[in-house]
Amino acid sequence: MEMIIIEVLSLLFAALRSATPVLAVVLGEIMTQRSGVINLGVEGQMLMGAMTGFAVTAITGDPWLGVVAACGAGILLSLVHVVLVLGCGANQIASGIAVMILGGGLSAYYGIPFVGEKINSFDSFGGSGIGSIPLIGRFLGATTPTVLLTLISIPVISLFLYRTRSGLHWRSVGESSEITRNLGHSPVPYQFAAIVFGGLMSGFAGAALAVDYTSNWVEHMTAGRGLVAVGLVIVARWNPWYALPAALLFGVSEALNLRLQSWGVDVSQYLLATLPYLIPLVVLMLSFRGLKAGGGGMPMGLKAVFTNS
Amino acid sequence: MHIELYNVSKRFGDITANDGVSLDIREGEVVALLGENGAGKSTLMKMLFGLYPPDDGAILVDGKETSIHSPQKAMSLGIGMVFQQFSLIPALSVLDNLLLAYPRAPFWTFRHLFETSAARSGQILDYLHELAPGLAPHTLVRDLSVGQRQLLELIKVLNLNARVLILDEPTSVLPPQEAERLWGMIRKLAEGGRSVVLITHKMEDVMACADRVVVMRNGKLINTLERDDCTEVSLVQMMMGERVDRAPVTTPPHDSVTRQPAKVLIRDLAASQGLQSIRGINLELRPGEILGIAGVSGNGQHLLADALVGLARLSAGDVIIDGVTLQSASRSPASSGQVSYIPEQPAVNAVAADLSLTVNVALSHFRNLSFFPHWAPEKATTESILENYEVRPPNPDLKAGQLSGGNLQKLVVGRELKDEKDLIVAAYPTMGLDAGAAHDIYQALFRKAAEGAAILWISEDLDDLMEYAHRIAVIRGGEIAGIFDPREADRYDIGRAMTSQQSDETPPTPDTNVETRTGVSG
Repeated sequence: MEMIIIEVLSLLFAALRSATPVLAVVLGEIMTQRSGVINLGVEGQMLMGAMTGFAVTAITGDPWLGVVAACGAGILLSLVHVVLVLGCGANQIASGIAVMILGGGLSAYYGIPFVGEKINSFDSFGGSGIGSIPLIGRFLGATTPTVLLTLISIPVISLFLYRTRSGLHWRSVGESSEITRNLGHSPVPYQFAAIVFGGLMSGFAGAALAVDYTSNWVEHMTAGRGLVAVGLVIVARWNPWYALPAALLFGVSEALNLRLQSWGVDVSQYLLATLPYLIPLVVLMLSFRGLKAGGGGMPMGLKAVFTNS
Repeated sequence: MHIELYNVSKRFGDITANDGVSLDIREGEVVALLGENGAGKSTLMKMLFGLYPPDDGAILVDGKETSIHSPQKAMSLGIGMVFQQFSLIPALSVLDNLLLAYPRAPFWTFRHLFETSAARSGQILDYLHELAPGLAPHTLVRDLSVGQRQLLELIKVLNLNARVLILDEPTSVLPPQEAERLWGMIRKLAEGGRSVVLITHKMEDVMACADRVVVMRNGKLINTLERDDCTEVSLVQMMMGERVDRAPVTTPPHDSVTRQPAKVLIRDLAASQGLQSIRGINLELRPGEILGIAGVSGNGQHLLADALVGLARLSAGDVIIDGVTLQSASRSPASSGQVSYIPEQPAVNAVAADLSLTVNVALSHFRNLSFFPHWAPEKATTESILENYEVRPPNPDLKAGQLSGGNLQKLVVGRELKDEKDLIVAAYPTMGLDAGAAHDIYQALFRKAAEGAAILWISEDLDDLMEYAHRIAVIRGGEIAGIFDPREADRYDIGRAMTSQQSDETPPTPDTNVETRTGVSG
């Protein structure tokens, strides 16, 4: 019995750790889309964050500096989307893909010297006494600062979005920039902040992946996590509270994938590795049915992405 | 606050929208600005609200000449306007929508702060509690009826401390009972010292609540009268002027229609699409009959029309024309050559903006075109439609997107009425058109009835329905709530059927008719 509980708990905490980078991107993208802008470039921003975070950590030896640098890199790359979309009125889909490919290319090029490098990552909380709590202690002890920071950001974002005047304006911009403008508030500052916040969160997610979770840098290491996150935004119904279960969907299926491989299930590991992408896709398709009937909480401003060129 | 408009003119290109109009608005007074569509009423008030600068003339506020260059400036002077199109965000709550428009909204918007602290609620929710006591602040706007939404718009403007309120055609979207409530509210606001300008083309509005009537025609101010000095007949004459008399709209006489056997049978029709659904619809149409469908928008009219013409799948029931099943729940929906459809907003729903007018007309029968189409006859057909319906500019090679909405509407009506049909489904065919164009469209539409087609006519204009339809079916919540004979029925009975559950004598309170839903397409 105890074996099963331990097995389930360790799977859950493994899921939480592998879900953290995705969760951070989902939260950032929820905020971006809540302002009526879609940013597919999060994948590239995440890669830039991962590479920059890893490089800075490798050079300075301080993972915190790495995280801060990663956030900065994510913001810098998101400014490309800001300029193209808000400055030039470019199509958001095209601009997002451009940012994604740009981030992938730049991170691959500047990351070459760091491939295979070793870094000293965050210490887990195991040493600080949490680890001695019976049963769950050794799992809690395995969590790291990035996991905690990401979890804390959920209530903070919700408080801002649903309980402040600025959050109200933010949501109204996402519903209709036209009406918001008529009410005397310009939508541009909110959309600017939204894209930049998405950049910060995806840069942070990159650091959570490269500096914390894997302590490793490989070219294109995000492997589509950023794009999966954009899909999970729909599963989460643009609600920060639902972002956690949506991201855990990815985390659980990835942890399951590793478990299945270690148990020696007789399926090709390449097929098993598609599990974390397949399961969210199925859930997305299922949730689309409900979405059509109820509107699914989609900010109406996102419709403009497809009607205005 | 006393406002004077002195000799104000406004031109858009070659069109003179306002020509030397002088008007004053006194404190505590309700001024009705009466005129037909296109008479220049809205333009005049939009200048006062700072949306357009006047080309000529001056606006005086309390005797001082003031330039009102933006709506923000107008609001800071205490001038507020409620438009026909609401600027509410349906996904947000009533309170959120009020906060968005409130100039000094608090940073933290916790709901309980408003309900517990009297000082705060005293500012933002005051008018809501006063004017709509039954409306909970956390209700989502998408669950509100049209009347409640309009009320919310009014409260938004009042929250800005407006002393002068401009209401643009406020009763055009309201069923009769809600209009009556609005009149009462307007009177109350005026007694409280505010001035109200009521832009309208309806006589009832003027008679119910105006102190003074200003009649406009073709951009000119025709006359200003005290309410007691005018009669409906004299006002109509001033509004219409000595216009060249158009042939009256003729509809087939009631008796000859009712003697015929039914031509179109709609039996137990049910369908659902997104949030909208209709069920248990049973209707019969005789040849030459004009069946009006009345109802508050969003109660299933759109889906009913789509189901009849084969754009929506039926979940039960069937549609039979002359004994032949046209649509049925057991079949996939299909369009038919026997049925014409004039959808709502034809400019969006019935034309392809990037194709020429000729192609757009040919699209209605594209199955009959040969593989390499002969365009010459199509062009000739198009030209005749352009001429008959006075579509401007009359050039069949233009792209549809280059025409204005009203002209496209006339084109679509012309296209849908050009062949002989058994059933014509027309959804709001005259919405947004001026009186002359609307008249022409009614004439063309009802001529088809005289030729033997059955017409299902969806409209929001109860006056027109009462005047032209042979029977009026009221649709509410996706079901037929009653069928009325316009010769005998009382408009208030019809209004009651449109809004409330029982037909008792009490007028509906704001919170009893929340069943109105917005369509997913809207």
